[in-house]
Amino acid sequence: MAFSGPVLLKRIPNDPQQRKLLRYADYVATGGYASLKKAWGMPAEDIIKLVVDSGLRGRGGAGFPCGTKWTFLPKESFPRYLAVNFDESEPGTFKDRYLSDYDPHVLLEGIAIAGYANKISTSYIYIRGEYHKQAKILEEALLEAYANGIFGQKHPGTDIVHNCYVHRGAGAYICGEETGLLESLEGKRGWPRIKPPFPAVAGAFAKPTIINNVETLACLPYILEHGAAWFKSMGTPSSAGPKLFGVSGHVNRPGVYEDELGIKMSTLIDKYCGGVKGKYRAAIPGGVSMGILGTDQFDAQLDFDIGRKYNVLGLGTAGVIVMNDQTDLVVMLRNIVRFFAHESCGQCTPCREGTAWMHKMLSRIVAGYGTAKDFDLLLEVGLSMGSMPGTTICGLADGANWAVKTFLQKFPEDFKKRLKRDVVPGVTLTPAGAAV
Amino acid sequence: MPTMEVDGKQISWEGKKMILQACLDNGVELPHYCYHPGMSIVASCRICLVEIESPDPKDPAKLVRVPKLVPSCQTPAVPGMKVYSKSPKAVANQKAVMEFLLINHPLDCPVCDQAGECYLQDYSFKYGRSESRFDENKAKKPKKDIGKHVVLYSDRCIMCTRCVRFTREISGTGELAVFGRGHKEEIDVFQGKPLDNPLSGNVIDICPVGALLDKDFMFTQRVWFLKTTPSISPFGSGGENILIQHNQGRIYRIKPRFNAEINKWWISDDIRYGWQFVHENRLAELRVADAAHALPMAWEQAEARLEQTLLRSVSERGQGSTLLMLSPFDTTEEMFLAARYIRKVDPQAAIGLNMSRIDGQDQVFTNPTTGQVTYTIRADKSPNRSGAEKMRRHFGDNIVMFNDLASQIASGRYATVVLLADAIGHNDDELAALLSPIANRIVLSSRPSRLTGQATMVLPVCTWAEKSGVYENFEGRVQAFEKAIEPPEPARAAGHVFWNMLGMPGTYSAAQVRQVMADHGLSEYAAVSIPVHHEKVELMEFSPL
Repeated sequence: MAFSGPVLLKRIPNDPQQRKLLRYADYVATGGYASLKKAWGMPAEDIIKLVVDSGLRGRGGAGFPCGTKWTFLPKESFPRYLAVNFDESEPGTFKDRYLSDYDPHVLLEGIAIAGYANKISTSYIYIRGEYHKQAKILEEALLEAYANGIFGQKHPGTDIVHNCYVHRGAGAYICGEETGLLESLEGKRGWPRIKPPFPAVAGAFAKPTIINNVETLACLPYILEHGAAWFKSMGTPSSAGPKLFGVSGHVNRPGVYEDELGIKMSTLIDKYCGGVKGKYRAAIPGGVSMGILGTDQFDAQLDFDIGRKYNVLGLGTAGVIVMNDQTDLVVMLRNIVRFFAHESCGQCTPCREGTAWMHKMLSRIVAGYGTAKDFDLLLEVGLSMGSMPGTTICGLADGANWAVKTFLQKFPEDFKKRLKRDVVPGVTLTPAGAAV
Repeated sequence: MPTMEVDGKQISWEGKKMILQACLDNGVELPHYCYHPGMSIVASCRICLVEIESPDPKDPAKLVRVPKLVPSCQTPAVPGMKVYSKSPKAVANQKAVMEFLLINHPLDCPVCDQAGECYLQDYSFKYGRSESRFDENKAKKPKKDIGKHVVLYSDRCIMCTRCVRFTREISGTGELAVFGRGHKEEIDVFQGKPLDNPLSGNVIDICPVGALLDKDFMFTQRVWFLKTTPSISPFGSGGENILIQHNQGRIYRIKPRFNAEINKWWISDDIRYGWQFVHENRLAELRVADAAHALPMAWEQAEARLEQTLLRSVSERGQGSTLLMLSPFDTTEEMFLAARYIRKVDPQAAIGLNMSRIDGQDQVFTNPTTGQVTYTIRADKSPNRSGAEKMRRHFGDNIVMFNDLASQIASGRYATVVLLADAIGHNDDELAALLSPIANRIVLSSRPSRLTGQATMVLPVCTWAEKSGVYENFEGRVQAFEKAIEPPEPARAAGHVFWNMLGMPGTYSAAQVRQVMADHGLSEYAAVSIPVHHEKVELMEFSPL
């Protein structure tokens, strides 16, 4: 436990007045691209080993060990691609945007290091469609990087020329799912793929592809600079390193803050966000698909073991949404489910139909026409579309299910007091839910 | 052969197969909507999910239970694997998927053409629940006219995307696409680009529900009244296998019949919609044009008259004055009997063959991604050119090439022509003009044309749907088909006419003719098998009340 100060945010001042976009020169002046130079002097295998040793886990939501993912690439199979997942579309998540708003080169350096370590020929930064400004910043930073020989050059010791492009999405949540991202990148409809084959074997354009989150790649320069042991000295044994937390909702100073993994949510809020506005009631640990933390879980440790310990799906993107006791959790859940119903890609039956059904049901409950049986039905619909593993191709249905399940399990009274006592079976209290 | 256990039953398969396909091949039914053996696998309907126990790669004797439900359509079958499609988890999923599919389905089976052959109905009965728990408003989606032959009822669609994959992978035309997202998505065509490729009708067959329907068949018949007869397409030299579906002597539609080597699961729209001629404008009587007037007559009279005419012309003009014109639209048996009869009355009779109808060039469809040929529409539109050629070779000497006919006729060589002209005439006018100098013109046809108009004797015969026999496709594949419907009075199969005139014993049947042919050195016809159509009838088990 040795978090002594910001790592990823070390170039971004806490005071909004002093923040400014770092150009290439500013970045290099503060020690930027030194790690890349260092990496170029190392054998690629050593870098992969270093990343494995550091215990760096994916920052995009699933927390898959980054170095392990790299080792899945089939040997001697080229060309290889790197897709950078910048489709930051999980509600409550804005950490990658913050990073690229002010320090885009740290991402590019991370890409260059990952590219060298894995002999990547092309890297695609798949950026969310709504991020107009960030795409522009990245484009400009890329030009600077090209001009300074970061990209467009052969990886030292190989014949592989590494190029990097910014590819803008069109605003679909599902394109943040790694295979949905690849489909979209290829110009197709963003429908997640069935696996196998896994992207490491046949990803973008049916070639071996690594998909990493922006923050994951941004960690790489610092791991190279300070070493695996330093990285591991932060966080918990299973969740190493510093982490960006995007806090929003009922706190006095919402924003992106950095601390080590395993920090208590209460500490995070009190230390950085100036405390909860009003009385704490509930919080979403990392994007709405992760479920909800209850009133007694204010001290939950934010690390990759959170799911096991606090009955949520996981840490997700660590975009914490805090709710005080004035929050209407039924309306909150309705909004969350509306999001999933709107963003379901429509490929798998359970998700396509189930999310819309739950949204209609919740809309009816919010409108005051809920009946007692709706509670169990909501739970059952959620469970049958998501919780049983394997019912859908990707995890969207599971996310919707976890939201519904944990809201109902942890705050049953909020819902039950909105439901009328049961009426004659088969008789509907009109009107039925409004359309999405 | 590797084996695995599915719900306690041992099944085996060859090569690389997915669990679902291996099960279907062995007659083990697993529910599925989006899977189609002819197209890519998307695993999106999620009703085929099963639980499996797979052999441990390190210790094949040990089975490891896979914690997830896996899509059987997309999971390879592994020797020694155990598959559970009736486990509580699998059943719960089947039930849930059925419920999800039906919540926004209009349930308008009473007015839906698909009712009776609908997978939603079948699986709902087998796997679904008896009442709806959906208290909300159903999504309302429009009915769309998407092409020349096809109507789309979006509200009945279950988004299996089979039709989309068909236009992308089989016809290669890509007219259909998924529009919208989530529960609002719909199948549609792009503006100004209707579904009008020559294979478009197949999307109706592969649609597992009543979303894509046939404009031609729409509201004409409930499918459970239809009888099905396997047959061979008469609309081209491909030899496509089809099913004729009919009721009370009327054809209602034609469906493809699976044949891995010829048409796979598909047929072209020409074949699907070409049958109308069977019920249109048929010859209503046997007729002899005497010096002044036409006389209708019965078959016995006509046969006697025909023989008289032939014998007289041979005795007056000598042997070799008779011309038999075969048609590549008739069955091989009919041509055999006709040629045998003509050579009996006139051993020197010339045998000619009418021309095939050639429409441009073969139209080849490929999968744009793999480049594989998926379907070919043959340019040669006659179903039995190979059979006709074979019969001509069999009857050897004195055969006439079509191009030599004109000069031979002009030289006054022929006194009588017997013309087989089954239904699909294409050069009737040309032929009529060519044959007009011959004194006795006997035409066996199913419908009126200039040929029959100027014939001295007209005998109405059956179309392909009303008779049995074999067609031989462009590669010489001999395929038999059976009679589907009764011919309209007084039409008779041309083969039947010559069978009687040859004085053959017993009743006429194509199978018997093939035996006779085998006895005459055409041994390949002895073992032609007749296709059988098995209705899929599942006996429902009811538990006592």
